[in-house]
Amino acid sequence: MDASPDKLAPTKAKATGKPIWPRIPADFVRAMLAGHSALGLAFAALIYLVCFSGSVAVFTQEFARWEQPAGPVLHAASPQAVNAAVQAAVAKNPKAHDLLVRLPEPDHPRLTVQSEDVSGRERTYVADQAGRLVGEARTPWTEFQAELHTVLHLPSTWGRFVVGLTGVALLSSLVSGVLSHPRVFKDAFAFRWGGSKRLQEADLHNRISVWGLPFHLVVSLTGAFLGLTTIIVGVLALATFKGDTTKAYALFSGPVVRDDPRPAKVMDVAAALTAVTARHPDARPTYLYVQHPGERGQHVNVNLVTENRLSRGETIVVDGGGKILGAVGYEGDSLGFRVLSAMTPLHFGWFGGWPVKVAYFLLGLGLTAVTASGVAIWLARRRDKGRPAPRWERLWVAFAWSQPLAYAFSALVGLLSPTPAPVAAWGLATLAACASAVVGTPAGISKALRRITAGLLALIALAHGALQARAMVDAIGWGVDAALLAIALLLTLTTLPRGSRPVR
Amino acid sequence: MSALWALALAPLPLAGAVLLKRAWDSPSPRRPWLILGGWSLLVLAIGASVPLMGAARGPAAVLAVGSLAALVLVAIGVERRNARKKAARELAPEPSDRRRVAWRGWLRGFLAGPLAGVAALGCGLAVAICAPGQIQSRMVIGGLIVPFLWAGGMAWTLSDDKILRAFAVLASVATLTLGAAFLKGAL
Repeated sequence: MDASPDKLAPTKAKATGKPIWPRIPADFVRAMLAGHSALGLAFAALIYLVCFSGSVAVFTQEFARWEQPAGPVLHAASPQAVNAAVQAAVAKNPKAHDLLVRLPEPDHPRLTVQSEDVSGRERTYVADQAGRLVGEARTPWTEFQAELHTVLHLPSTWGRFVVGLTGVALLSSLVSGVLSHPRVFKDAFAFRWGGSKRLQEADLHNRISVWGLPFHLVVSLTGAFLGLTTIIVGVLALATFKGDTTKAYALFSGPVVRDDPRPAKVMDVAAALTAVTARHPDARPTYLYVQHPGERGQHVNVNLVTENRLSRGETIVVDGGGKILGAVGYEGDSLGFRVLSAMTPLHFGWFGGWPVKVAYFLLGLGLTAVTASGVAIWLARRRDKGRPAPRWERLWVAFAWSQPLAYAFSALVGLLSPTPAPVAAWGLATLAACASAVVGTPAGISKALRRITAGLLALIALAHGALQARAMVDAIGWGVDAALLAIALLLTLTTLPRGSRPVR
Repeated sequence: MSALWALALAPLPLAGAVLLKRAWDSPSPRRPWLILGGWSLLVLAIGASVPLMGAARGPAAVLAVGSLAALVLVAIGVERRNARKKAARELAPEPSDRRRVAWRGWLRGFLAGPLAGVAALGCGLAVAICAPGQIQSRMVIGGLIVPFLWAGGMAWTLSDDKILRAFAVLASVATLTLGAAFLKGAL
């Protein structure tokens, strides 16, 4: 955060009275601001990208449904149907190493089985009410946007590390931002627009930072933890297990089923599911992870979610004979397990239904705006001091607005192309948008990119509606199209010339 | 259904923010009461969410929705200013002007990045390996403090003008904690 660059008018300053917080030495604030600026500038682009992609990723389930709105839409699936789907998937590839079965949930009203086919390619089959595999899930854009947030489309280990490091940098910026903002409560409601560019950006930056602080702390800490897990576990394993990370992960995997590759009849998943739900009547099964199907060492992990818990759910391990071996312990007495199980839902906002998702989306966009305004403040400060950096001003505006545009373009390609390559589309669109920094003014670039984005969003909604109209069984398809049109309209409105407004 | 409780409780933090804004807007004898009332409503919203949505889920949901409600209130109260008018006199602190010396910049980057990271990792490992308690809890808590300490170390080293002091502290912490963790070497 930037310290407020001006004092309030004398009347206002008088009105707010004496500060209740101890006065922070000016030298300390100045040093903190220097560190805050340096860190923010070094990581600005990465933080911006991770925050923007994270805001979009909140609606990953909804996008997956939007990409394939034909269903079948299921609100529940019987254990027999689940078993039929598993047997059908194993029949397609008897050598499948494991199967991930997602059961119908409010956020994901589908029965799907994810497995590798005989060629080793990962596939997700969609099943109907009876468990028949009636199609294959095709959600390239949803996968693209999720992976952009979690690994930036880099090799998995490196990608997670870079995202985790970005989370650390964001967390550090929050710490230095709070410490360099001595008027944090005094200015809590001061939001002034117009006039000096620097004042305007500073108010936007500081107000969103202060009121969104709980959210910012939660997502940056959980994000950094999730991203750095690999390296933390790796070093831990080096210190304690001679580098064998599997032993470290085994501490969190619950009852162990001995590997036995000798062939066996594929286990009855229906019986396992029935037994688990009978033992845990208050919980709702959300997914099953069938391991080594068709082997004597086969077993299934059943994930159960209990209402009112901030948790990814408890995992029950059932062996191939249908015997419940026990729970992993995510919702047991262990503090560590409970904290671990809360990380993912807390990070993505997947714990409180659509109100929390909408809040996470908007607060995430707010954090994105905080990042953008942080760089804008630095650029405005340079300009105020007579050292303007016009190229950087244009490039930063172009980069900031490149992401909505590139996301929209990649979604359109994903929708219309029979062989979509959303990563390439996103990369090209980002480059093209950034290239616009060569010409025009920052305001002109911003306006042009916003208009193009609005046009693309409207085009996506219309194309999706036209292409899927007959098959749109899942109402979320229409809902997302309507939301895209509304965002397109809002973006367009921001580019229209402003009429005369009362000015204070 | 319980998810909608977050929405139902949103008016409480919003009302709390309204009271705080009133206290902020003008001095009056009621000001302390408005501040007390504002914060009480925020606390009440969090407290009410516990039986309705769960001990961890409720407060997390209310904080998210409440933050957004407060931001909406701030946005509604936007004060538009004349773009042609000159800005008020600059009184805000400026970032400290440091001498631009290349080696100091590289050293500062090394301290904030790798060295602060190693020191934080050492502290996390020391907690995971040496602290009392259940293994999994030690590992998760140790893991969770790594990003937090790394972020703190980063903020400190980038702000502190005495970078050799920062170097000495971080190097000592890293040596001590990693040494302790690897010496014990068992969970």
